[in-house]
Amino acid sequence: MSITYLEAIREAQAKALADDPRVFIYGQDVGAFGGAFKATKNLAQEFGGRVLDAPISEDAMMGAAVGAAIEGMRPIIEIQFADFSTIGFNQIVNQAASLFWRTNVSCPIVVRLPSGGTSGGGPFHSQNLEAIYSHYPGLVVMTPATVEDAYSMLLEAVAIDDPVIFCEHKFLYYHLKADKLPTEALPVGKASIARPGRDMTIVTYSAMVHEALAAANELAAEGNEIEVVDLRSVRPLDTDTIMASVARTGRLLCVGEAWPWGGVTAEVIARVCSEGFDLLDAPPQRLNAKDTPVPYHPNLWAAHRPTARSVAQAARKLLRL
Amino acid sequence: MPQIPIIMPQLGESIAEATVVRLLVKAGDQIAADQDVLEVETNKATMNVASPCPGRVQKLMVKEGESYPVGAVLGYLEASTEDVARLGLDRLLTDSNGHDTDVVHAEKQSEAPRRQVEPTVRGLPVPAHAVGASYMSPRMKARMAELGLHAADLSGVAGSGAAGRVTIQDFEKFITNLERNRLSQASSMRVAVADAMRRSWTRPLATVALPICLDALLAHRKASDPKPGPALYALRALAVALSENSAPAGRLVGTKIVHPPAIDLSFAVEAEDGVLVPVIRNADKRRLMDMVPRYNELVELARQRRLPPDATGGSIATVTNFGTFGLTWATPIPLPEQTVVLGMGAGRRVPSWDEKKGQFVPVMEANFTLSFDHRVLDGGAAGRLLSRIAALLNTPQQL
Amino acid sequence: MLLARVLDDKFASLYRGGKIHGGVFLGRGQEALSVSIGLSLRKGDIFAPLIRDAAGRLAFGETVLEAVRTYLGSPLGPMRARDGNVHRGRPKDGLLPMISHLGAMISVVNGALMAHRFKGISGTVGAACIGDGATSTGAFHEAINQAAVERLPLVLVIANNEYAYSTPTSRQFACENLVDRVTGYGVEGHALDGNNLETCLKTVQEAVGRARRGEGPQMIVARLLRLCGHGEHDDAHYVDPLLKKESYARDCLKLAEEHLLRQGWAESRDLETWRNEAVQQVEEAVAIVQREPAPDPYKENWCALASKHLSEGNNPAA
Repeated sequence: MSITYLEAIREAQAKALADDPRVFIYGQDVGAFGGAFKATKNLAQEFGGRVLDAPISEDAMMGAAVGAAIEGMRPIIEIQFADFSTIGFNQIVNQAASLFWRTNVSCPIVVRLPSGGTSGGGPFHSQNLEAIYSHYPGLVVMTPATVEDAYSMLLEAVAIDDPVIFCEHKFLYYHLKADKLPTEALPVGKASIARPGRDMTIVTYSAMVHEALAAANELAAEGNEIEVVDLRSVRPLDTDTIMASVARTGRLLCVGEAWPWGGVTAEVIARVCSEGFDLLDAPPQRLNAKDTPVPYHPNLWAAHRPTARSVAQAARKLLRL
Repeated sequence: MPQIPIIMPQLGESIAEATVVRLLVKAGDQIAADQDVLEVETNKATMNVASPCPGRVQKLMVKEGESYPVGAVLGYLEASTEDVARLGLDRLLTDSNGHDTDVVHAEKQSEAPRRQVEPTVRGLPVPAHAVGASYMSPRMKARMAELGLHAADLSGVAGSGAAGRVTIQDFEKFITNLERNRLSQASSMRVAVADAMRRSWTRPLATVALPICLDALLAHRKASDPKPGPALYALRALAVALSENSAPAGRLVGTKIVHPPAIDLSFAVEAEDGVLVPVIRNADKRRLMDMVPRYNELVELARQRRLPPDATGGSIATVTNFGTFGLTWATPIPLPEQTVVLGMGAGRRVPSWDEKKGQFVPVMEANFTLSFDHRVLDGGAAGRLLSRIAALLNTPQQL
Repeated sequence: MLLARVLDDKFASLYRGGKIHGGVFLGRGQEALSVSIGLSLRKGDIFAPLIRDAAGRLAFGETVLEAVRTYLGSPLGPMRARDGNVHRGRPKDGLLPMISHLGAMISVVNGALMAHRFKGISGTVGAACIGDGATSTGAFHEAINQAAVERLPLVLVIANNEYAYSTPTSRQFACENLVDRVTGYGVEGHALDGNNLETCLKTVQEAVGRARRGEGPQMIVARLLRLCGHGEHDDAHYVDPLLKKESYARDCLKLAEEHLLRQGWAESRDLETWRNEAVQQVEEAVAIVQREPAPDPYKENWCALASKHLSEGNNPAA
């Protein structure tokens, strides 16, 4: 038996709906249709009345989620593509994220954002917005990279009393498979060492973890052992694990699929430089998508985001510094 | 008629500009090829700028006393088309609009504010990436601070990083390998001297030497009671010479010369595995014989490492008698806070040509060296100081 | 109404006395409409008042003390000095604190009503207030559409006071009457002059009743004139003087008092007594709050997450 990243998300939602009557799912096409990516397949049938089709109104969807949460529900909002979440941006960052701070009433909502690029997606079906949401205090932002984390972190997201932005990666939906669902997991807020190493630390998250692992294999054949840190959640950011890794290796390369300016890679490097400057044996480097909207043509798209090849190249360059 | 620019030539390897001293021709003069048109001075020499071809001086755009960069246009010649073609000077011609093609206008240069460093578009011209053999990463610096090490300690470490820099891995390997050797604790004296020498060496140091005849000194010493140490003679002679001209003992800090406040001189005494340098204050104001008891006392105290505070620190120059070790030649390193150190080698009996007798006669001679911070004085000043000391040592009764 | 007016006047004078940081926004002229909403709702209902709803809040159960505490930034107020002036509420009591983005609160009310439905709670109503300006927002449109699709017991009260800050309604919408939009959304509409207390009470109660009975969302459009600036920093010089002559422009409080006197339900003496009582109540509250300590940044926990274990502990306090 094997289970895909997408199926793991579905399983987690099924378990959440079954375990807690306060959970409901609200999004476009999530009901009978089972969702644009089939993340809610059969759930409307199984949990009648708690998987609702929404009109194309991301602002109203998000506002309703907050209202429902105030009255004791634990909604999961499926935004069809992360790129569309900007329509409901106001409700997420100004209504949901600030509610607890203003009123001491918590806002236990989960917003699922199918994120990241796939070949042919183009500028409005490929975005990675974790940095934008991480910027606002009051949000938890998760970026699972594995099938197991997609499952357990979504369950934890539902259990958390704060608004959680769950950035699931579309490319990983059908590409990643695991043998079985996990029974235990690292808690949210802890990064994991996806691959231990000695000569350099690559800090990354989501789909880029797999590119980094592939790059690390390439470099292992050349005699260099690269440690890969999977952040798992970018807010909170596990600074301790990152520091410990840089303490071991002395070199840091941050890789992210999002744009460079003010991205997660910038935040990681800022923290390492200000809190762990003396751990660095070379200037920290970062690799992000090119600073343009995500292109449509596969040739352009392949060059736009970091790949195993470009990560390996960046790593070699850093090793030589 | 074609106009040929007269250009400031490259007058030396590192020369960037030169000052016009004299205009040798004026507008309207008919001149020949290679005729001198301007006299210019660089910080090394005075030279002439010559005309590239025969013609008539159209204009000179420079002023006497002003500096212009290498490559600047200093003036224009009107030359015939045939001459220009013959001499292959077509490349230098102005374009049809009368604008220079390759060269920089001298006028523009003298109006532009003088700037030493041009900022790059992004800001200061420092490298964005830290490559280079001398680059020490923050981690390196932190580790070295932890272990009390300096760059000098790493001089033997081969670096595997960019441009041969020492990486943290190279460093940790080096430290681990060190542990495999027999290690003993350096005395605090050794560590202090090491630090002083390291700091002193950050300056450009040079040494000059002069063999000095010791006969007069030795005769004077034989007839004296108590007997002054040989180093004391040198110390007193140095004091007198510096009281006449203290510049060689001045210090250079940035663009300022710090003049010595008093002629306090120190002398080197070997103690345990290091060197102490007791100080005699105002050595210019005391006669040689008057200083003997104090000098002997200080030597004794130094050997026992019991120097009083008033006899340490604050000296402006040092005397070291490396001749006591039998050495005839050495290049001592001045103390980090001093500019000069006077060294004396061992006396030897050598033949010296006596002009009057027309033959070689035996004399006692020793090499006296002056090691100095070359930023403050040059060979000439060093030589003059040594010569004065030689003269003073030849009339020891006046010391 | 009277209490709300007296309270607003007090806020205005505190503002002019430099005692209030930030903006002061009054509901002068809107009290009749606003109080009708508060009076028509019950415990268990959801109420999302807006800027000019001091009367409605008081009728729904907010205390003068809480209002004053929020305006004066007391850490003992419901917003604990973290938000101020009209941005106040108690979510767990059904009184939703507004955010500044107009139209945003309506879908929150929708969500609360959906939660009731999920939980099997019936017979509750959600009321949201907005002005003419907010009807131009996407949030308004999405929310009323959502309420209609879900057939929620939403009562949306639009106070058309002719101006959104300085923008007249001619620059805000092109339809003849805002209430004409109900056809487009598929909801029920009610239109009235908003300065007549009796009409307001009747209309609002009827709309709330229909919603409560499950007849779907109700949209009330009340016409009145804003009798103050957008905020106390604004002198409203742009208000068309012709509008001031309209019937719906007359001060609802005066109209109500006249009505009481005419009907013989009260005498001038009573009106004066009530006014004095209101003034005293407000002044007492202000006196209490002015003695309360200001928030201490060194005692704040500076954490925006309920889940402390997920907070990154970036505590800027010394």
